[in-house]
Amino acid sequence: MRFEGSCWKFGDNIPTDRLVKSKYVFEPMEVMAKHVLEDLDPDFPLNVQPGDIVVAGKHFGQSSGRAIATKALKATGIGCVVAETFARTFYRNCFEVGLPALEIKGITSLVNGGDRLRVDITTGKVTNVATGKTLSGEPADPFLVEMLNAGGLIALAAQRTELFQ
Amino acid sequence: MNLAEKILAKASGRRSVEPGEIVIAHVDRLLMHDLSGYLTADVYERKVGRPIPDPERAVMVFDHHFSPPTEKQAEVLKSNREWARKYGITLLDCGNGNLHHAAVRNGFVKPGMIVVGSDSHTPVHGALGALAMALGNDSHAGTVLPYGKAWFKVPETVRIELHGTPRPGTTARDIALWLVGEIGEGELNYAAVEFAGPYIKESPFWDRWLFPLLCVDLGAKCSYVEPDEVTEAFVRTLPGGLSGESPRGDGAGRDAGRVLRYDVGEVVPLVACPPTVGNTKPVPEVAGRPVQWAELGGHGGGRIEDIRAAAEVLAGRKVHPRTRFNIVPSSRQVFAEAAREGLVLALHEAGATWFPPSTGSNQAINMGAMASGEAMISTHSRNFPGRNGSSEAEMYLASATTVAASAVAGEIACHGTKGSPE
Repeated sequence: MRFEGSCWKFGDNIPTDRLVKSKYVFEPMEVMAKHVLEDLDPDFPLNVQPGDIVVAGKHFGQSSGRAIATKALKATGIGCVVAETFARTFYRNCFEVGLPALEIKGITSLVNGGDRLRVDITTGKVTNVATGKTLSGEPADPFLVEMLNAGGLIALAAQRTELFQ
Repeated sequence: MNLAEKILAKASGRRSVEPGEIVIAHVDRLLMHDLSGYLTADVYERKVGRPIPDPERAVMVFDHHFSPPTEKQAEVLKSNREWARKYGITLLDCGNGNLHHAAVRNGFVKPGMIVVGSDSHTPVHGALGALAMALGNDSHAGTVLPYGKAWFKVPETVRIELHGTPRPGTTARDIALWLVGEIGEGELNYAAVEFAGPYIKESPFWDRWLFPLLCVDLGAKCSYVEPDEVTEAFVRTLPGGLSGESPRGDGAGRDAGRVLRYDVGEVVPLVACPPTVGNTKPVPEVAGRPVQWAELGGHGGGRIEDIRAAAEVLAGRKVHPRTRFNIVPSSRQVFAEAAREGLVLALHEAGATWFPPSTGSNQAINMGAMASGEAMISTHSRNFPGRNGSSEAEMYLASATTVAASAVAGEIACHGTKGSPE
């Protein structure tokens, strides 16, 4: 499962409250998506392009476990998200809603905002296209890759009825 | 096996499980609140839409609202209510208290259960020896409601042993906040955190509660205290009492992947400063910061212990004129206890304002929005900018004693250092 796109880079410990601020939680997804991470980079929700890649530091997506944060991030059209580490509920939600996520130690020093990045979720490999530098991390668990390929958890549960019944 | 592994093995019908394995396990309880129920309902109605075979597994508590302030929010509560009624899901409507406190006080959580919920502080139920984890709406709608199951990666266990005796003035909340600062946010990512050691064993139930609560900020998947006589005595006071045997760990952490030992005697009263919970500082370092708001409430606050501590600080004193002191009982039961003990009138006359049992100012859904430049000191569990109105407002987290002392001083203050005598 491969992606290539322009990178938007964010820092450490970013809570879901900054992906979707409290004042937008009752708004429809299209509205939430227009304000994702706006406090940290006002350009991001305005100029993000389909297939772009979000790169973040440690414990990305901490705080509230509601899947709207991952859904709103996915609704911006990004291809995948790569972080030093994720908050676990956020990581889980990424795969359940069909947003590929990869943990790579050192990713924040591999790229700058705007760099082109190549990401392989299945092998856990990331390449900065401009510099040619590559980093490897733990690839996603095969169960999670299967979930992504199915289109998320609910689609997986429908396809493989024996799993949960 | 560690307790988390024992519970996951039993619930997935296996003799044993290993950290890192993915298992599909039975879920005993799903906890939703008014901000997650309707989102789960939306996914369920659009993508699943099957009958719910065991609706009593699910409990919804309206805790971010005690009375909807806008038409839009009234509609959200109405849709939550109608969805719960449609399937026979248990609903505790506005005024019942914080989701987790109401769930415990009404007997919905017992030792050994697997408890899931969208609220990120769901792991707090590990205080009763339940294995409690936060999942997303798609797990709840897609597998928990229709099949009573969910997928779990078996976590590695990290044991935190707390030794020693707290200094006078240091509370359990100071110790829990200190651990987040000391260990670091996200540093125990994906782990099951076992709280143990003499300090935990000797702590009463509602002080133990604060440790699994704060483990969320360490990044833990779940956290627990192995059930013992304190747990069982507490559970016997709940509706339904103690049914069956509560699961036992080995008591020694023999299978823990890591053991971290701390002396609680080192800890002084702390304030977690914005922007994150791990940004803890001794109270004197932030003393003097004016606070427009002080609040007892939230997932960890609004306990009867917090209200008693505030009443002690406010005895013979008044809330400072520039500060509003909100008191939000964590459950109806706590409000009744406060009323019986005379604390409602005492705190009211000292200038505090009582709010209905709820989650209080958490996320400023029903109360607690701040203007830019304002600050609140509270017993809440989160201090991220933008959660309470303006991104330029500040939330400080501290013990009930420090919150009450700050309400008296009109600024962040240590108990016993500053006050406005009557």
